[in-house]
Amino acid sequence: MVNSQAEALGIIFPNSYDSLIPELASERSMASIPFAGRYRLCDFMISCMVHAGISNISLVVRNNYHSLMDHLGSGREWDLARKKGGLNIFPPYAQKNLKVYNGRIEALESIKGFLETQHEKYVVMADANMALNIDFKDLIREHMESGADLSMVYRKQEIPHALLYPNSNFHEFYYTFDIENQRVRKIFVNPRETGIQNFSFNMFVIEREVLVRMIDEAYVHGYTFFTRDIIARHVGDMNVHAYEYTGYAAQINSVKSYFEENMRLLDEENLNQLFRGNSIYTKVRDDNPTRYINGSKVKNCLVSDGCIIEGEIENCVLFRGVKIKKGATVKNCVIFQDTVVGENSHLEYIITDKNVTISPNKYLSGNDSFQVYVAKGQTV
Amino acid sequence: MGKEIVAMLLAGGQGSRLYALTQKLAKPAVPFGGKYRIIDFPLSNCVNSGIDTVGVLTQYQPFVLNEYIGNGQPWDLDRLYGGVHVLPPYQRASGSDWYKGTANAIYQNISFIERYDPEYVIILSGDQICKQDYSEFLEFHKQKNAEFSVAVMEVPWEEASRFGLMVTDETDRITEFQEKPKEPKSNLASMGIYIFNWDILKKYLEEDEADPNSENDFGNNIIPNLLRDHRKMYAFRFEGYWKDVGTIPSLWEANMEVLDPEHSGINLFDENWKIYSRNSGMTGHHVAGNAVIQNSMITDGCRIKGTVKHSILFAGVEVEEGALVEDAVIMGGTVIKRGAQVKHCIIAEDVTIGENAIVGEGTEDNSVGDVATIASYVTIGDGAKIGPKAMVYEDVKEGGEQW
Repeated sequence: MVNSQAEALGIIFPNSYDSLIPELASERSMASIPFAGRYRLCDFMISCMVHAGISNISLVVRNNYHSLMDHLGSGREWDLARKKGGLNIFPPYAQKNLKVYNGRIEALESIKGFLETQHEKYVVMADANMALNIDFKDLIREHMESGADLSMVYRKQEIPHALLYPNSNFHEFYYTFDIENQRVRKIFVNPRETGIQNFSFNMFVIEREVLVRMIDEAYVHGYTFFTRDIIARHVGDMNVHAYEYTGYAAQINSVKSYFEENMRLLDEENLNQLFRGNSIYTKVRDDNPTRYINGSKVKNCLVSDGCIIEGEIENCVLFRGVKIKKGATVKNCVIFQDTVVGENSHLEYIITDKNVTISPNKYLSGNDSFQVYVAKGQTV
Repeated sequence: MGKEIVAMLLAGGQGSRLYALTQKLAKPAVPFGGKYRIIDFPLSNCVNSGIDTVGVLTQYQPFVLNEYIGNGQPWDLDRLYGGVHVLPPYQRASGSDWYKGTANAIYQNISFIERYDPEYVIILSGDQICKQDYSEFLEFHKQKNAEFSVAVMEVPWEEASRFGLMVTDETDRITEFQEKPKEPKSNLASMGIYIFNWDILKKYLEEDEADPNSENDFGNNIIPNLLRDHRKMYAFRFEGYWKDVGTIPSLWEANMEVLDPEHSGINLFDENWKIYSRNSGMTGHHVAGNAVIQNSMITDGCRIKGTVKHSILFAGVEVEEGALVEDAVIMGGTVIKRGAQVKHCIIAEDVTIGENAIVGEGTEDNSVGDVATIASYVTIGDGAKIGPKAMVYEDVKEGGEQW
């Protein structure tokens, strides 16, 4: 292979952490949650992989994947409509005696036949619960140079609030590392420490054949979770390399963090950090440019194409095709695509899902610690 | 199976009256309306009308256009049988020729058309802004049992002598053609959009080619020959928005009309007749806290910190603090630095307007007037002044002036 092609295939788990954000993920997967005006969360991970020359990318979906399938189509917009490799979506393997998978081990077991027949030497694995612009080429290079069995990505940061103080129905895992000389010495499962930690991004590079062997073994033992059940146990006798990511990352762990991460992008410095690197691809919608009609006012907003603004918007993220009618004021809101805010309505601290209609003369308000969410297709 | 209709899109025009804007690209590739190029209109019209086979005839500065059209995917024209094909002049065993005229361009591609064995051929122009349903035009052509039809627009009588005019009888049958006459007998101006029965077109193209005195032009040669032979020729009256954007003032004016769809009739927000284009892939536009935007169109990738009034900004334009953009068309990637004033002008792609520079000037009565124009990749130095009639091809240094 020439240099532009990575010796790696990518695997993305679109449903990881769905349970953290039940409102937005009720009819979709984490990976297809709209973010930053015109993207879905998976666009970031897929684009980063594509820019690293990874052109064989699989998404192992668990449930609620219609919106994801619709978004990705043939993968053409990510340059993944290929004869060799390209985009694969693996729906749940519907065998009678096999339940829909729970953890990465079961997910990988369900596509083991596929993994065995591929040619790439390495596998890059990731979730789709964050928007970031990571250089996977650098990760793969560092992994190869380190001679490690496995490389894991981490970032020096606090454990996200929603993970430290979860709702009662919390059944997700997160990890932090003890690192010595760029080597992971110990893995902590759901630690409670505050302050800066080596927080795991759940991204791995590993040799494909090694991965297949590990999955076989773990599956026989009835293990479910790759990090908790395999890596954490064997971190002593394996060479696990720690790769530090220092760039921008928007991590989505709750509706609140979802709102805040959108708002953070109103700061141009953050916007530049997330989008300055490789361009992030997404589904094209062929909207016309956004039109500001006389009498409109706009202040500190991130606005996508296809909007018609006749009213007033301030501190907002507007997705594609939003209409803000005359006399309406929309402040501190995240407005999904094709939402219509009627004349003289006032919205503050609201998240509206797709195709929401706010009738004229309505007043809706949340506050900075609690944002009101209006579900898909609702008329208020 | 043959195609019912094949479209041939004449896109070789140099657009010499667009001066600085068409130095490096053909007229159909000139950006328009915030995120489009002129050629997006006929291509989108084709696909929206159900025409899936389009030959694009290129000649002048074809690179931008070739790359832009690519495999035709943005217009849904990547087809197994048909689709969009770029057709530059090519070499044959008997030698090669540039396209000598519009008719000759089609003549040289007879074999392309024959591959699809069509009943009809529609000839389109790549330098007009127009949303038109060609299937209605074809329906008219069939109903009249015509051999040739031309789309016409009613124009004011006092302007009629600037156009090629079709004189018709009460059944819309064409009885006479007047090219820019002093005394017009009709106010039906040809839009340069024709439907031919393919057998008729082929016959007249071959006859025209054999005539050494011919200019090989549809208007000057083919149409008069059809009339001479009393062919069944009809004029189809089109009643929508149509604009030839062949001059700087008309291009500026058409862009401004996009800002006022309620009155101008050019509505890009029509869900039922989308205009497709190749996507910039940039993130949404960002408007800072102290920015002012009034009555404008802004697209992906723009960063606005200054004031934008009654203007169209293309992808990735930056307007810095204290800068003012008014009545302007600013094409992709251009940066307007701090304190600059940019009015009543067209600025091409990837231009830098230096700090406190002044470009153009408004007219008092809001008429078109003069439109300052700056070519792609030009840098206007800090504090420079560019007059309202200026046509800027090269960098202007700091504090410099051009009128």
